[in-house]
Amino acid sequence: MTEQTQVHAAPAGPVFWPKPTDTNPKLRVGFFGLTGCAGCQLSVLFNEDEILRLVEIIDVTAFPFVRERNIERDFDFLFVEGLVASRNDLETLQKLRERTKVLVALGACAHTGCVPAYRNFTLKENYEHLLYVKDRGIEDINPSPVDDYVKIDHTIPGCPPDKREILSFITDIVGGNKPKTFNNPVCIECRRNNNACLLESGKPCLGPVTRGGCNAVCVNGGFECWGCRGLTDDANVPAMVKLLEEKGYSKEFIRDRMRMFAGLKMPAEVEIIFRAANNKP
Amino acid sequence: MPQTISLSHLTKIEGHATLTLEVDAGKVKQCHLSSIEGSRYFEGILKGRYYYEASELSSRICGICSCAHTLGAIHAVENAFGVVPSKQTMQLRKLLAIGERIRSHATHLYFLALPDYLGHESVFSMLPKYKPQVKSALRMMKAGNEIIRTVGGRDLHPVSAAIGGFLKFPPAEKMAYLQEQLKGIAPDVEATARLFGGLKNPDFEAPADSFSLYNGVDYPMFSSNLKSETRMFSPDDYASYIAEYHEPYSTANFVVKEGKTYFVGALARINNNFRFLSPKARAIAKDTGVLFPDYNPYVNNFAQALELVHYADEAAGICRQLKSIKPEPIVEFTPYESRGISATEVPRGILWHEYVITAEGKIDFANIVTPTAQNLRKMEEDIRAILPSLLVGDDKTLVMQIEKLIRSYDPCFSCSTHFLKVKWVGKKRKQSPKRGSLRSLDKRERAAVDKVLGRSQ
Repeated sequence: MTEQTQVHAAPAGPVFWPKPTDTNPKLRVGFFGLTGCAGCQLSVLFNEDEILRLVEIIDVTAFPFVRERNIERDFDFLFVEGLVASRNDLETLQKLRERTKVLVALGACAHTGCVPAYRNFTLKENYEHLLYVKDRGIEDINPSPVDDYVKIDHTIPGCPPDKREILSFITDIVGGNKPKTFNNPVCIECRRNNNACLLESGKPCLGPVTRGGCNAVCVNGGFECWGCRGLTDDANVPAMVKLLEEKGYSKEFIRDRMRMFAGLKMPAEVEIIFRAANNKP
Repeated sequence: MPQTISLSHLTKIEGHATLTLEVDAGKVKQCHLSSIEGSRYFEGILKGRYYYEASELSSRICGICSCAHTLGAIHAVENAFGVVPSKQTMQLRKLLAIGERIRSHATHLYFLALPDYLGHESVFSMLPKYKPQVKSALRMMKAGNEIIRTVGGRDLHPVSAAIGGFLKFPPAEKMAYLQEQLKGIAPDVEATARLFGGLKNPDFEAPADSFSLYNGVDYPMFSSNLKSETRMFSPDDYASYIAEYHEPYSTANFVVKEGKTYFVGALARINNNFRFLSPKARAIAKDTGVLFPDYNPYVNNFAQALELVHYADEAAGICRQLKSIKPEPIVEFTPYESRGISATEVPRGILWHEYVITAEGKIDFANIVTPTAQNLRKMEEDIRAILPSLLVGDDKTLVMQIEKLIRSYDPCFSCSTHFLKVKWVGKKRKQSPKRGSLRSLDKRERAAVDKVLGRSQ
């Protein structure tokens, strides 16, 4: 396995995961957003039946999206949404990393860079006309996932992340347990839900190579998987590409589709497969 | 001596923004409302992608209004290819949009706006005293999410809505279930409207053009003509009356209509469409004594609350009609070289999507104008206008009132950022009016902008 695959694999836990103690009964938790759509932070709130209980069992010391007063230090756990796209983002991220024991990448932007990072694969002329000179702090830097700059201790993947996964993560850490990561492909859950296979009907579904844990929510809704949760550890990408080619999709189409949500986390050997395609996007 | 007030990292808004004010001898020298959200350049990402990928990709612009972007993109592509969806499809789309409207308004009103009015820092600190109100907000958010999940397949970034129809249909009994849920929140929406109708707002008027969709038949949601105080507009030639410009201090653009400031959102919608609100919503408005049109920007909160009442009624009606829902095939169409535009009403105002599509079905040009971008200039002007009256009080009140003013617009800086058309420094971008791309301000308009903002060239 190359180093890049390692980066993609479910991250190893830190040496020390904070647990509630008698003297410190409530974990200090923060929620922050870098550049993103706020959808991941909303996914926390959209646990409508549980949110009031959640804020009782943990100490939400900072959540600028919904709080005016935020204590931005001494976190046990810090959830960060969004990708790094400006100088501000980077400075905030580095500051936050120093102030938390565990840093959790919440959602696809933090994890892979998601759709905004697809810009790395587009031609500059596609967005050149949108550029302009900005003041210091808000000037652009290449859209990148969070772990390009700092160490991530855990990832809750997905665009959006499954709100139940956030919930179970929090109940796990409160109980002193280490949260699970999923490694089965989406197809396992999809089959269990008795969905008709979209690949069989010719749709470019990436379910076989995509990390599950989402309950195959897109296919349940009739829509093919675009791979927002990233590849499974043992994804057989060559077989996936071959299968889609047999269905009539060009290498170029498959490459772009796989890059859309998790492009920056594709292992090097996947990119080699696509060399055959016209390398200019 | 000039005094600088800087509110860095405004809280309780979607996205990131900073406000810088420079005040000298009771006069506002400078007022910059800056989006400091990083730029994502969605329009650049969309260029070169296929038309059928536009809804899935542009949905990622915003979490809280992801249904809006999904439907905006779908309607624009349908407009390009002349696709006419079935009546049932349009009903389902409207239901999806209403679910999002209920969720978005409830979240904004209780989680972002109300703590200011009650002297609390957040909804969490409100809990000991106002638990029933917070629970009521969560019930409305849940009902909204249930509608979105049922129709769109997922809370955020819905998957089932497609060009020409739906990929999946909820079973008929689900419609009865949703109707029950909506009945369940009827007391909540009414209490919300009465609560916000009774809140004391600063005595402040900031007249400008209310701009919204208007069809003369019902409370508008999807493509129709647009109305302002002065006249009607057609969405097709929007580039002839809307212009964007930007400032180095912000990653969000600013928008003017016919060279002037205007505003969009719930208040603008009600100002133009009050008579199409449901009877209950109108009755509550009458009880509270607020007369529309109203030009106090703080009243936008109440306008959102009235929309909650209206949309809970309307959604229940749609669910009733959809009790005989049947799976339908997607409308067939052949893509060709074309251009499509959609103007839809979304929680924060009018959302524009425009795509120029090549014969191969690829997007050659994309343009998206979000509600917050359209409101930004009005927000800056309002802050300038209200500031002198606040300078006599203490700084804490001043900051609180200004933040409250900004929040009452329910700005979404995630959305408004990165939709910039003009290159201010250096050469102007080549213009192609045929495509209807937004033009940049001409010299005269730019001078007018500078005059309003108190700058010399």
